[in-house]
Amino acid sequence: MSFESDLLAILPRLRRFAASLSRDRADGDDLCQAALEKALRARDQWQPGTRLDSWMYRIMRNLWIDEGRSRQRAARTFAPEEAGEHVGHAGDRDMEAHVMLSDVDRAMHALPDEQREAIALVLVEGLSYKEAAEVLGVPMGTLTSRLVRGRGALIELLGEAA
Amino acid sequence: MTDIDEALLIALVDGELDEVTRRRVERAVADDPALAERVEMHRRLRERLSDHYAPIEMEPVPAGMRALLNESGKIVPLARPAASRWRSWSMGGAIAASLVFGLVSGLGIGHLSNRPDGPVAIENGAMMAQGALASALDTQLASAQADAPIRIGLSFRRKGGGWCRSFQGQAVSGVACREGEGWQVQQLVPGAGQGTAYRQASSGDAQVMATIDALIMGDPADAAQESAAKSGGWR
Repeated sequence: MSFESDLLAILPRLRRFAASLSRDRADGDDLCQAALEKALRARDQWQPGTRLDSWMYRIMRNLWIDEGRSRQRAARTFAPEEAGEHVGHAGDRDMEAHVMLSDVDRAMHALPDEQREAIALVLVEGLSYKEAAEVLGVPMGTLTSRLVRGRGALIELLGEAA
Repeated sequence: MTDIDEALLIALVDGELDEVTRRRVERAVADDPALAERVEMHRRLRERLSDHYAPIEMEPVPAGMRALLNESGKIVPLARPAASRWRSWSMGGAIAASLVFGLVSGLGIGHLSNRPDGPVAIENGAMMAQGALASALDTQLASAQADAPIRIGLSFRRKGGGWCRSFQGQAVSGVACREGEGWQVQQLVPGAGQGTAYRQASSGDAQVMATIDALIMGDPADAAQESAAKSGGWR
């Protein structure tokens, strides 16, 4: 198995993780694509015998954090985020994605980043607490308290239907 | 009951408790309907989230991502996203492609084509590949290009006949089709090395995929077909 075919095998899960981090599917695929490109460039840093999926989750999560910072900067510089929803669309692709945004998407997006990534790794990707804490580079206690707060917030946001 | 906190209930749902603790929490939950209700709520939340994102894992992955990973020897057929998404992609891509074309023909190509080592020359009003790009299009197989500066993505037959190939380089990416003895560039977008924001890099890929979709007839060539086409001089 080559590096590329190993990546191809876990790609469906990586796309799912990207979607759960991102505000919509189009952003998720952009993130996933960027993570693949980065992984191919940084392949020498991958240590065979360790878990490729955890390594990829980490790359993707770091890209996403960086992107979030630059998006916040841009939002402060140009317009409030709500205004940003209506200007500068990258065409119909974006609008379609917005229309399809579901309750779960919206609730996930309302979470602070640190809670969303913990929720995504454990509840969506099914990682153990230990694996998720390693991906995020935080102690187990930190991870579990983010899970508790994130779940509380989601249950509130999603109401009785949760 | 007081020593059962939310974190323990959640860890129970997540299967993270050791055997002894699990039994203790389960006993407490069985004795207390309020606790049981909270556990049920957390179970439903976990199920709802995982159900919500599960379909993504079942979808075929986008062709752009596959193309990126296609150096392992075989060329995987284009996996198409849901039709509506694909259509809107193509439209966006076509608009973006014409914009990009206007830009490069207005600014970039003049400079590029004045330099004999640039990737593109203008011949009889058409953009033709030259230099390293032309030779990559002529000779490089998508199945064998470990560290080539220009990477070939897909090779395919276009509607109306003739071979086309997508390429990706540091400076420019795009699609070129065989014309006579050369390669006419159909589309040129900024390459992988332009800009650090991932959005920019990957929107170029989406544009290229939209162009491929507009041109392609049938499926892209597999490694054997690609090799045969190369031997036949891409005729």
